Amino acid sequence: MRSGSADDGHTAVSGPVEVSRDLLERTRPASRLFWWAAGGSAALLALGVIGFVIRLGDGIEKTDPWGYYAALVAFLLTTAQAAPMVAIAPRLAKAHWRRPISRAAEIFGVVGVLNLILFIPLVWVLPDLGDGRRSLWFFGEVRSMPAHMPHIVTTISMTALAVVGCALLWVSSLPDLASIRDNSGGRRRRIFAKLANGWHGTSRQWFTQYHRLGILGAFYFMMLVFTHFAFSVEFGMSLVPGWIDALFPATHAANSLQAGVATVLVVMFLLRRFCGFGDYIELDQFWGLGKLLFALSLLWFWFWFSSFIILWYGKKPNEEAVLDLMMVGPYMPAFVTAFVLNFVAPLFMMVWNPVRKSIWGPTLVATGVLIGTLFDRIRIYVSAYTVAGAEDKHEMHLPLPPANLPDLADVLLWVGALGGVALVYLMSTRVIPVINIWEQKEALLYKIHKPFHRTEVLVLGKKD
Amino acid sequence: MTENSGGILSQRSIIGLYVDEDAAANAMDGLKAAGFSESEYEILTGTPYPEGTFGEAEPVHKLYRFPLIGAASGFIVGLVLTVGTQLSFPLVTGGKPILSIPPMAIVMYEGTLLGAILFTIFGIIFESRLPRTFMGAYDTRITEGYIGVAVTGEAGKMGPAEEALKAAGAEEVKRGWEKG
Amino acid sequence: MQEHIQLTQKEINRDLLSGVLKSPKWWLPAVLVLLVVFLIGAAAFGYLLNKGLGVTGLNRPVMWGVYLVSFVFWIGISHAGIMISAILRLTQAEWRRPVTRAAEVLTVFSLIAALLSAPLVHEGRPWRAGFPIPWIMPWDFARGIWPNIRSPFVWDPSAILTYLTASSLFIYVALIPDLAILRDRLSGWKSGFYSVLSLGWRGSPRQWKLQAVAGILLSALVLPVFVSVHSIVSWDFAVNIGAEGWHSTIFAPYFIIGAIHSGVAAVATVMVAMVWLWGWDRYLRPDHFDAIGRLLIVVGTTWFFFFFLEFVFAMYTLEGPELAMRDLQVFQYPWSILFVVFLITAFFFPVPMWLLKNVRRSMFWMFVTTLSVNVGMWLERFIIIIPGLLRRQPLVFDWGTYHPSIIEILMVAATFAWVLLGLLIFARIFPLIPLFDIKEGMVGREEIKIGRRKVAASIRE
Repeated sequence: MRSGSADDGHTAVSGPVEVSRDLLERTRPASRLFWWAAGGSAALLALGVIGFVIRLGDGIEKTDPWGYYAALVAFLLTTAQAAPMVAIAPRLAKAHWRRPISRAAEIFGVVGVLNLILFIPLVWVLPDLGDGRRSLWFFGEVRSMPAHMPHIVTTISMTALAVVGCALLWVSSLPDLASIRDNSGGRRRRIFAKLANGWHGTSRQWFTQYHRLGILGAFYFMMLVFTHFAFSVEFGMSLVPGWIDALFPATHAANSLQAGVATVLVVMFLLRRFCGFGDYIELDQFWGLGKLLFALSLLWFWFWFSSFIILWYGKKPNEEAVLDLMMVGPYMPAFVTAFVLNFVAPLFMMVWNPVRKSIWGPTLVATGVLIGTLFDRIRIYVSAYTVAGAEDKHEMHLPLPPANLPDLADVLLWVGALGGVALVYLMSTRVIPVINIWEQKEALLYKIHKPFHRTEVLVLGKKD
Repeated sequence: MTENSGGILSQRSIIGLYVDEDAAANAMDGLKAAGFSESEYEILTGTPYPEGTFGEAEPVHKLYRFPLIGAASGFIVGLVLTVGTQLSFPLVTGGKPILSIPPMAIVMYEGTLLGAILFTIFGIIFESRLPRTFMGAYDTRITEGYIGVAVTGEAGKMGPAEEALKAAGAEEVKRGWEKG
Repeated sequence: MQEHIQLTQKEINRDLLSGVLKSPKWWLPAVLVLLVVFLIGAAAFGYLLNKGLGVTGLNRPVMWGVYLVSFVFWIGISHAGIMISAILRLTQAEWRRPVTRAAEVLTVFSLIAALLSAPLVHEGRPWRAGFPIPWIMPWDFARGIWPNIRSPFVWDPSAILTYLTASSLFIYVALIPDLAILRDRLSGWKSGFYSVLSLGWRGSPRQWKLQAVAGILLSALVLPVFVSVHSIVSWDFAVNIGAEGWHSTIFAPYFIIGAIHSGVAAVATVMVAMVWLWGWDRYLRPDHFDAIGRLLIVVGTTWFFFFFLEFVFAMYTLEGPELAMRDLQVFQYPWSILFVVFLITAFFFPVPMWLLKNVRRSMFWMFVTTLSVNVGMWLERFIIIIPGLLRRQPLVFDWGTYHPSIIEILMVAATFAWVLLGLLIFARIFPLIPLFDIKEGMVGREEIKIGRRKVAASIRE
């Protein structure tokens, strides 16, 4: 049921010309707030670089110090890199509410490049398969299998994901880049003419636009799932002696859908609150995404419990050791935080209609989900990197190492990386309008209010 | 709904049948103008229309309370059942402690949802004011596309009601009884 | 392209009540044939009760045979109803309208078929244990024995019975407005029968509003049950560390997505049958088959990903017995043949076919491909359950073989007859397509004019 109220229509910005003009104007002069935010993010990024230098001082031979770093890469993979799915999935399902937020989600594709850079040191930190651990590659059994197979496959996968993410963003913004080209002059015009790559809006271009977006979107999703598979197994599970969990790669990917939705929700709130996009990003968007977040939070529990009950019931020594390591042992506080913020809080808050159908409700829950995901990734990767150096690669031996708490370098690295994400995102919005202009104008065609006997109804058209 | 108080057989009902949605809406307006209160007349259709199509008031219901109560009772039953059976027959199997939480959670989960669903079903029927043992003025053509405007009230009010219904262009006006 | 056929309520009544108001020519012969098959199965069960489990092909160590395969298969089919009706209701997909009820009815009858397949017939001497559900009924009060809720065999009936109750009641609530239509169309005792069932429905705005809310609310409540049912069925296998190939964390999602794959395919098969048998081609349009075909591509591919994960992580364990079991599954005759047939019928034939628009819009091809999926998914369960129990591993002294006996085959055949029989009898008494839902779709149908084009649209509340 959609609300039949004024939330659906845009009262302030009504016609296609006004939409174009309004949104184009916003790409022009940056506000003071913008430069303050960008400057602050850059400063944080600088701190991150310092943190990285300190971390490098520990060397790359031992895995323990790099646990928080691995968790950071996993966290960005789970949150920012999954955010474009919020544009892709509802677009494939032809949901109209996605239109004002699809670009804000797609811009996170650029963050993939940052995460790819962050990922590089991990390739050196990860030991090769010569250490005798379990792997997907039958190293030692299959002749000529390189010992660096995990490094190779994951690097290719991370690179492909970043490239597809950027390609998706570029293709989706072609019509908007052309609008900027047509509305500016001089050097700016020449730059955007290059970027718009000859977009003139012919029927043929529009026809291929939908197809390209569909194919790139599907491809991004498949790459995302595969990257989660490769990263979670090669840089996480295989480092833990005796941890065999066929569901884990899927859990990792499913969690990323939840965290991706949460990321976009928070960005939507910021855009609405601080950037004056209240005319575009309305209750409808929060409600649509909030319902999705609710469903994905329930899915979080289901994936977790599906793994947990098997390991708990099986009671093999290795299974008990894994539960001990990641849930009830040294990292219990992190696990409990993740459990509460990713499942319990969303369930008990979003089950209430007034919370679900509000702007603050989904935003609050989404913030919690992001924090929960942070702790979840920490409990998995930090713990994995503390046991990765163990002698026996197939049985976990007790006692488990104590919890590895973050040191100064870890804190600086995390803060710096998050600053970097913000900076990359902010600078991207200088080039690409953060609200999709062409989809917004398209919505005006398909969404009309009309009288129906004694009432007024919303009529939604469906493109084939 | 119209089950207001009154003596037995003091209530009568009447129904006007319309083909056109706007005519039915006009009949509703006419009844309102003739001084009928909104609880005295209602529109009957063979298919759901968007809310407010005939200018009728939005029905208010309390359905959402039912699943909550049901879930709570189901949860308690599940808890009592799982704890009770384990304590009454404390046999350790498979190295699982008595009062193991994960299996209890599974059974309690089913109990909670079963409770919620049973109460919801009950709530839907109750809130729809069903079962209705007495049909009053009704016409079988309503389930074939006709739109009925039914008025229920004291016998004396049926005259003005009939006039209002006919004035809006009713195809047919039928009278019936209503339980008091 | 989306086609438009605008029909009046009278026409809809006439078309969709045709199977209820009069009996089609083929109906009685079809029902009789199915009844005979079902009764033969029942007789086989009687023989089994009399002689004991020795008449089946079950023997140590393979004590779970085609009964369990059939059980998992029917639980899988039962997931169609809620997948189609709940998820599509919640997402307000217009194309759900003619499909929901048939899907829900399929759920109920296949759930009962699942109960008939294993739990009720697999007991050996069920009357001694406290028929019908020995392990969840506290039977033995005298000795103070209570059901062991730490066993998955208690979780399982609790989930299935919840699901069965919920989906039956869901169907009933959504049936009330259609029962009122039948009450108004019939006379005499038949009208009386539908009067009682329709509880005096009149069609007031309040009643319609409650119907709409009920559709959403019940969908939201049934979905978690639906997910739990097959998860728990999978845990019957997966919490066990004794049989190779079963103890995998992925089992719950893998079974669920497999169930959706086979269930949605079964709904598509039933949809084709509805057109062929009752001629409802004005309601089930190529658009509907196109939509369900697209859905199946997504579901089928996801299922294949989980199958891939399940298989890869079996190899990842590098444990001898596990690898031996996989070797048996894939390379040893006759399992190798079954494995190839399973992969082709469940994935490599149907999914690429659905990528073609002409296939998705052709009833014949949808019938063939969706039937193929269910052949494959039946084999999938067979390949999971039996080789795991055979214990063809190094250093094991009690290897097993398994061939289903004629008794088992007859009883499994009877479950198929039961489900078809159930659908046919239901369709004779109740409308298989929800009339009021179709009518609502007609009322809410609009067109938006954009230039020279007209785009199909619908009213949203």
